[in-house]
Amino acid sequence: MKDLRKIGMAVCLIGLLALLPFAIRSEYLINLLLMFFLYFTIAQSWNLLGGFTGQVSLGHSAFFGMGDLITRLLWIGKVPILLASFAGGVSSMLLAGIVGIPFLRMKRAYFPIGTLALAVIAQITIGNILPLPTYLPGEYMREYRLFSRYYLALSVAIVTLLVVWRTVSSRTGLALIAIRNDEAAAEAMGIKTYKYKVKALLISGFLTGLGGSVFAYHQVSYYHEASFNLSWSFLPTLATFIGGLGTIIGPILGSACFLALNELFAITLGQIHLVIFGFSFVLIVLFLPGGLMSLSKQIKFALKTRLLKGP
Amino acid sequence: MLKVEHLDVLYGDLQVLWDISLEVNEGEFVALIGSNGAGKSTLIRAIAGLLKFESGAITYNGILLNNRSPHNVVELGISMVPEGRRLFPKMTVLKNLEMGAFVKKARITRFEALNQVYATFPILKERAQQPAGLLSGGEQQMVAIGRALMAQNKFLLLDEMSLGLSPLMVKNIFDIISRINKNGISILIVEQNVPLTLRTANRAYLIESGRIVGQGDAKILLKSPHVKEAYLGMNPV
Amino acid sequence: MGQTLVYGILNGTVYAMIALGIALVFGIMKYLNLAYGSLIIIGAYGSLFLFRMGVDPFASIPVILVTLFLGGAILYKLFFSRLIEFPEGEKIKNSLLIGFGLMNVFDNLAFIIWTGNERSLTPSYSGVTFEILGLRVPLIGLIGGLLAFFLISILHLLLSRTYFGTSVMAVSQDHEAAGLMGVNVNRTYLISFAISVGLASIPSVLIGLQSFSATSGMQWFNKGIVVVMLSGMGNIYAVFPAGLFLGIIEALSIFLFGATYREVTGLVVFVLVLILFPRGLLGKRVES
Repeated sequence: MKDLRKIGMAVCLIGLLALLPFAIRSEYLINLLLMFFLYFTIAQSWNLLGGFTGQVSLGHSAFFGMGDLITRLLWIGKVPILLASFAGGVSSMLLAGIVGIPFLRMKRAYFPIGTLALAVIAQITIGNILPLPTYLPGEYMREYRLFSRYYLALSVAIVTLLVVWRTVSSRTGLALIAIRNDEAAAEAMGIKTYKYKVKALLISGFLTGLGGSVFAYHQVSYYHEASFNLSWSFLPTLATFIGGLGTIIGPILGSACFLALNELFAITLGQIHLVIFGFSFVLIVLFLPGGLMSLSKQIKFALKTRLLKGP
Repeated sequence: MLKVEHLDVLYGDLQVLWDISLEVNEGEFVALIGSNGAGKSTLIRAIAGLLKFESGAITYNGILLNNRSPHNVVELGISMVPEGRRLFPKMTVLKNLEMGAFVKKARITRFEALNQVYATFPILKERAQQPAGLLSGGEQQMVAIGRALMAQNKFLLLDEMSLGLSPLMVKNIFDIISRINKNGISILIVEQNVPLTLRTANRAYLIESGRIVGQGDAKILLKSPHVKEAYLGMNPV
Repeated sequence: MGQTLVYGILNGTVYAMIALGIALVFGIMKYLNLAYGSLIIIGAYGSLFLFRMGVDPFASIPVILVTLFLGGAILYKLFFSRLIEFPEGEKIKNSLLIGFGLMNVFDNLAFIIWTGNERSLTPSYSGVTFEILGLRVPLIGLIGGLLAFFLISILHLLLSRTYFGTSVMAVSQDHEAAGLMGVNVNRTYLISFAISVGLASIPSVLIGLQSFSATSGMQWFNKGIVVVMLSGMGNIYAVFPAGLFLGIIEALSIFLFGATYREVTGLVVFVLVLILFPRGLLGKRVES
C-alpha cells in the first residue's frame, strides 16, 4: 500500500516536471532544473556502486566524459540525439568494463585509487588528443531549443531512478548490500561477489555515460577535457554523501542541496564555495556519514523515544 | 592492591558485564574462571585499558584506573600478557623483550630485567635473534610472559595462557607462573583450564554470562559440586 | 638519451621523497593522505614567500619543515585521528575521502589566494650545471638527489635506533600490543603523521625551484602513490629504488613517445602494477 502511494506521488511529480516548461517562462529556472536532473543522474548512478555496493569510485568523471565525448561526436556527425545518447551510455559502460573489471579484483581499498588514476589518465589524454574546444555548427545553433535539452535530462534522470531502484529492489540489490556490509561474509554465503560488483559497475557506468550525453546535448561550446575534469568525480560523491549514501532518496536530496548551495554561493562568494564544499564533505564523512537521510532517521528516532518515555 | 567495584561493560548497546566486583591483594594469585564467552577476557581487557566501561571503578593501590589508556596502566604498575600472545611478528625475540621495557622507568633496569627473564626462560636466550613469529606456541608464550616481566611491574594480568598449547607445555608454564608469583608478583589470571588453575591459584572467582556467581579459596572451589558439574564434567556425588 | 636519463633519475629522487611521506603514514596507520600533493604545493608557496623576502630556497627548508610539521599535527588531530577506530578497509577508504575533501579545500584556497599562475623560485644558481661524463647535471637536481639519500638515511636511523622509532615499528605491527608495552599509540600516530607532512617540505622546495601552480598538487601525489605502489605499500626502504625506477621509465617514455605523455606514463604504470601485482613489486610492509 505504501509503495503504491509512493509510486503514485512519483508519477504525479514526474508529470508536473514534464509539463513545467509550458507553465514557466524563465529560462533560468528550466536550466536550473536541467542541471538538477543531470547532477541527480550522476549522483544516483554513482550511488549504486559507491553507496549500495560499497565500492567508492573516485573516477566517475572518466565515465561522464566518455559519454559526453562519444555523444557529442556522434550527434555533431548527424546521428539523432537519442541514438547518440544511448551510444554515449554504452561507450561509457564499455570503458567501465575494460578498466573496472580488473580493478574490482583488487583489494577493496585500492579500487578508489585505481579509479582516480583512471580519471586523471583520461583527463590528461583527452586534453592532449583534443585540446581544442568544440562548437555547435550553425544549423544546430539555429535549432537549439532548451525544451529538448530539458526533456532529455528529465528522461535520463527518470531512467536512472528506475534502473537503480529496480536493481536495488531485486535479488541483485540484496547481493550488493550484502557485499557492502561484509564482502567476506557475502562470499562465504555463496554470493559471487565479483559478478555482482561488475554488474553494479557496468550499470553505473552506463547511467553516468547517459548523464554525459545530456551535457553534450546541452552545452554549446566547451573544451573536451572539461567533462573529464575531476570535479565531476567530486560532485556525485559529495551529493550522495550529503543526501545519504546507499539510499534511493539520498542523491535527490544531495543534488538539490548541492545545486541550491552552488547557486547561492557562486553568486555571493565566488570561488570560495568550492572550499566550503570540500570542507563540508570532510565534516560529513567524519560526523554524518549517513548524510541527511541518517540525520532525519536520528531525529525521527529521537522524537519517537521521547514520545514513548512519556510525561 | 587491585580492586574492581561494580563494573558494567557494554559493547555498543549490548551489555556484557554486570556489576563485577573483585579484588586481588598483594602477593595473591587470583583466578577468574568461566566458560567461553562468559566475559573473562572482557573484564581483563577493561582493567588493562583496552576497553572502555560504563560505570564502576577500578583502583590499583588507591589510584583510579577508570578508562585510562593501556600505556597509562602499564606506567602505573600493571602488565598484561594478552590472549594469543600478540608478539611483534617481524621483530626478534630480543627486540620483543626489549619492547617490554619501553616504559621510562623500566628502561634503566632493562639489562637486569633481561637477565632475569633469561634465567626464568633459558631457551629464550638461545632464540634471542630469531624472529618471534617463527617460534613454537610454547616458546611464544614464554616470550609473551617474559616481555610482560620486563616492565618490572608488581602486578600481572594473564589472559588465557593455556590456549593452543600442549598439556605438558601448559603444566610447564603454570609452574613458571607459580614461581613468579612466589617471588612477589601479584597475579590475576583468566583461564578456561579450570583444574590446573584452581590447583595453582590462591583464590578464584567464577564468572557466568557476565556476572560473578561465586568466589572463594581455590582448593575449596575445586571440590565444590557446582564447579565439578559445570566445569569438570563430573556428576555431583 | 643519456641526458634524458639523467633528468629522469633526478626526477626519480623527488618522487621517492614524496613517496616516503605517503608510505610512512600508510605503513603505520593505513591512511592514504590524498591531500599530500596539495600540502607540498602549500610548502612551495611558503618557500616562494620566504624567497621573496630574500631567503635562499634551501635555507627555507627548516622553516617550511616546522610549519608543515605543526600543520600536519593539527590536520591529524582535527580530522584523521577520528578514523582510527575503523576496520582497515574502511580506514583506507575514509582517509581517501577526507583527503579528497581536503585536497579540494587546499587547492581552491590556494587558487583564490594566489591565482592559478605558474610560479617558480629562481635563485641565482638556477641554471648551474655540472658536466659529468659528458652529461649535464643540474646543481639543484644534484642537491635534491643528495637530500633524498640523506633523508632516507636519517629516517632509517630514526626508525631503527631510537625508542621512538622502535615504538613506531611496534605500533605498525600490532598497535594493541604496543599499547600494552607502554607506547602511547595515539601520540605515536600523531607524531608520525606530522613527520610525514613535515617531510613534504623538501620535495616542496625542490618543486618550487622547478615550477608549480595552485592546482598542480594532484600530479605530485600521483607520482608519489605510483612509487608507493611499486615499492609494496608501506615499505619505506624500497621507496628510493622504486622512485628511481619511475623516473627512468618516464625518461624512456619521453624518448620513445615524446614529452606530452610523461604524466600518463606514470599513471599507466601505476594501473598496470595495481592490476598485475596487487601487493606491489616487492610486497613487503614496514620492516624492522
